[in-house]
Amino acid sequence: MWNKLILFLVFIQTSIPVVLKGQPCNLVIRGFISDESTGIPLEYATLFIQETKQGASADSLGYFVIKGICPGEYHIQISHLACETENLFIHLTQDTFLLLRLHHHAELLNEIAVHGSREDNSSQIINSLSKEDISKSSNKNLADLLEKIAGVSLIKNGSGISKPVIHGLYGNRISIVNNGLIQGGQQWGNDHAPEIDPFMADHLSVIKGVGALAYGGNGLGGIVLAESNPIPADPHLHGQANYIFQSNGRGHTLNTQFQRKQTWASWRLTGTLKLLGDHRTPDYYLTNTGKNEKNLGVQLEKKLSPRWSSRLYYSLFDTEIGILRGSHIGNVTDLEEAIGRSIPFFTRDEFSYPLESPRQDVLHHLLKLENKFFLHENEVFSFNYGSQLNRRQEFDVRRSGRSDVPALSLKQYSHFLEGVYNKSTAPGRLLKTGLQLTYVDNTNNPETGILPLIPDYQSYTASVFGILQQEKNKVQWEIGMRYDFKDIDAVTISKSLPRTIIRYHPVFHNLSGSIGGKFKFTPNIQLTTNLGYVLRSPEVNELFSSGLHQGVSGLEEGNPNLNQEKSIKAIVSLDASSHQKLFFQLVGYYHSIRDYIYLQPQPEFRLTIRGAFPVFSYLQTNAILAGTDFLCSYEFNKKFKWTSKFSFISGQDRSRQQPLVYMPGNQVQTDLTYSPGDRGHWSNPYFTVHGRYVFRQNRFETGQDFLSPPDGYSVFNLEGGTGIAIRHSILKLSIQLENVLNTVYRDYLNRLRYFADETGINANFRINYTF
Amino acid sequence: MFRSVLSIFFILLVIVLGCKKDDPIIPNEEEIITSLKYTLTPVGGGNTVLLSFKDLDGDGGNSPVIMSGKLSRNTTYLGSLELLNEQESPVGNITNEIEMENKDHQFFFTVSGGLSLTVSYDDTDGNGKPVGLKTRLTTTVASAGKLTITLRHLPDKSAPGVASGNIANAGGDTDIEVNFEVNVE
Repeated sequence: MWNKLILFLVFIQTSIPVVLKGQPCNLVIRGFISDESTGIPLEYATLFIQETKQGASADSLGYFVIKGICPGEYHIQISHLACETENLFIHLTQDTFLLLRLHHHAELLNEIAVHGSREDNSSQIINSLSKEDISKSSNKNLADLLEKIAGVSLIKNGSGISKPVIHGLYGNRISIVNNGLIQGGQQWGNDHAPEIDPFMADHLSVIKGVGALAYGGNGLGGIVLAESNPIPADPHLHGQANYIFQSNGRGHTLNTQFQRKQTWASWRLTGTLKLLGDHRTPDYYLTNTGKNEKNLGVQLEKKLSPRWSSRLYYSLFDTEIGILRGSHIGNVTDLEEAIGRSIPFFTRDEFSYPLESPRQDVLHHLLKLENKFFLHENEVFSFNYGSQLNRRQEFDVRRSGRSDVPALSLKQYSHFLEGVYNKSTAPGRLLKTGLQLTYVDNTNNPETGILPLIPDYQSYTASVFGILQQEKNKVQWEIGMRYDFKDIDAVTISKSLPRTIIRYHPVFHNLSGSIGGKFKFTPNIQLTTNLGYVLRSPEVNELFSSGLHQGVSGLEEGNPNLNQEKSIKAIVSLDASSHQKLFFQLVGYYHSIRDYIYLQPQPEFRLTIRGAFPVFSYLQTNAILAGTDFLCSYEFNKKFKWTSKFSFISGQDRSRQQPLVYMPGNQVQTDLTYSPGDRGHWSNPYFTVHGRYVFRQNRFETGQDFLSPPDGYSVFNLEGGTGIAIRHSILKLSIQLENVLNTVYRDYLNRLRYFADETGINANFRINYTF
Repeated sequence: MFRSVLSIFFILLVIVLGCKKDDPIIPNEEEIITSLKYTLTPVGGGNTVLLSFKDLDGDGGNSPVIMSGKLSRNTTYLGSLELLNEQESPVGNITNEIEMENKDHQFFFTVSGGLSLTVSYDDTDGNGKPVGLKTRLTTTVASAGKLTITLRHLPDKSAPGVASGNIANAGGDTDIEVNFEVNVE
């Protein structure tokens, strides 16, 4: 359920007393509780101080007061109908005012990219997921979670590998930002899933507009932010344990998180283990679609001086993913044969856990050190360093025992250095400037015995940006510019004999700018708009890839003469509500990309010893993408809530007067949730029915793909859960039934649609213990 | 402070721009099959015919060189297949690799375009199923058309028709698929 909360608070002092030991117990906590996304007061929300057993209810305007409290440290439980009970720790020394925000309408969450810091309260159009939403489905891939957001779809390579598609764009055009660092190893390959454990993210957001200029990268189509919250100032050990069993794939996911503020530092430790076996469609097993994964996250925070705070974040992601055995093909004849089969070749009748080739083995380390210096009240300087190491090995079915030798073996490491200076130059005005250096080194391991598809390279990027934000009355403005200098040093190997080394050294100057505004016409109507211009320089795969692309049965040829893509995206979001019962959000966008880079099948086939292969070359054209995302939520009464989302997209190649390929089909999702309220020990029981219909992609011309897009499909899910209060901790139980009707379907953006159906019915049982 | 930060950035930029990526080690493509030779020796004497396909630089690069041949009417030939990696020196013998894993491999010989000849297997793997490194090719009347030689890795040799040379139910992955224009005169 979405109306769970991430709660955050601001302390506002109401008086300035000197706190003395042994002060009489006459302190007062006052406060105001509202819904984060709508600002509506949450009447009758309850507060309970665990240590003193004192409690209070908010009045009809959302205000509450608790009197007669001694100075000390307290854990406060905050609950509201259909919101999850959450704990808050405070160190009470004086009369205090708490400003609490719960996510009662989390489905509407669209504003805050980074909690707690006003400077990031930008005019970007953002949709987010709450922690509870994330942790409930964390047996899935990171991208799978984002599919709940209107306008986001998935490009998949079977059930184990998925990447987000934002407003029709994916891959090189989407930046995934992991704790402030652009995730490495994501530049090429639609079968490279983001190496991020969803459990590590307290917050997942999608920025739909262009030019979230502080992050850079090539996020022309949008940005995904995965962030962890600051560690709360609670000196006691807290944490949670999660176990999820999924019936389809007989998967086990175990996760634990601990956190504590100690005098030497505040720390948080997260660990996850996943084991999954073969998934199953309604009719057969998907042989070799298991996974095993081990993840670790460490976060340390320390205030080194009143003006200097420091944060260290490290994560390790280690996964081994099986790829459907029947999707391994040698040539076009094999592909055509596979398309004609009702059950994929090599399908076994029994379930198994062990992985065989084809499979991927990926290891990703990420380290980030952040330092924040508070120079003056209105001036903050941050100095950040990040480093990533990505080791990727892909194993193929090969002759003479070579299946254990990777067919692709890449090592990519990167360093990132950033200095950001923020200054509030006048009340409501903030200037943010920064300098960034990025270095990437990518090396193929020759152990493969195969000429690499992506060459060895180094790339250097030096960037500078400036963003000015202004808030006055009911209007918020933002204007920003960014410049990137990018230098690529690529070393390729010739296709003809004798093999020689050919060096390329392209240099790009990318200039980007964005302007946006947010207008609050009335408390119920708000308009957000953003216009951005971005230059995206071609990535290494687009420039230099050369060879047979695994699995797609095509020879891919890079084009060293590609220019930058020039993109203009205009996006408008209208948020309105009526009588605090009906809420809606309408997003419209128009995206024009000049010199859009795409893969064009060439008229001639190339003859090899495995038969004739189609050749795909990277070419450029002019493209237009336009669409709308619509979200509507209606509260019939306190117990019933209905939410619907609709997204429509159309992509057109203007120069060649034909549709763009691999555009997601239009889709509609709807949910009905029943929350009867607390019953004895049961806290917040709920029940949800979810339905999704994906329309067939009819904008397609024969010859654009080996196979026409599959038919539209509908999938239904059921979910129910409850919390059980046990002393000071809470046990949460939930069951999600996915594809309840066991529908047989295929999705256009799943590459395995040539070979197999999507997975059938699945039940996820989740136990969460939070203390 | 800002001046020092700026200078750190510029010094790093200059250092880093001065670096050059090392030359890669060119992988030893020992698995690649560059050449296929199908040698046909008439039973009872006559001219040996060689059908060959040679693509030294692998996928891409230069086009392969294909040698087709003329066969005689009403003749039975003993066929022998040889696979080589001629990129290596000395030349890599892939035939041995196939022989070692003969249970996992099978060649298929398909005729099309009006060609009239039959190919039967003359060898077996450890399970008594055909491999196709040794064959018997029989011609009848004069005809012309295409002979396709396919090598499948991990086919289902027990599927209907596969043991007698019908590729339709074989499955597996294709390692080789070459076409020869053949005349029977």
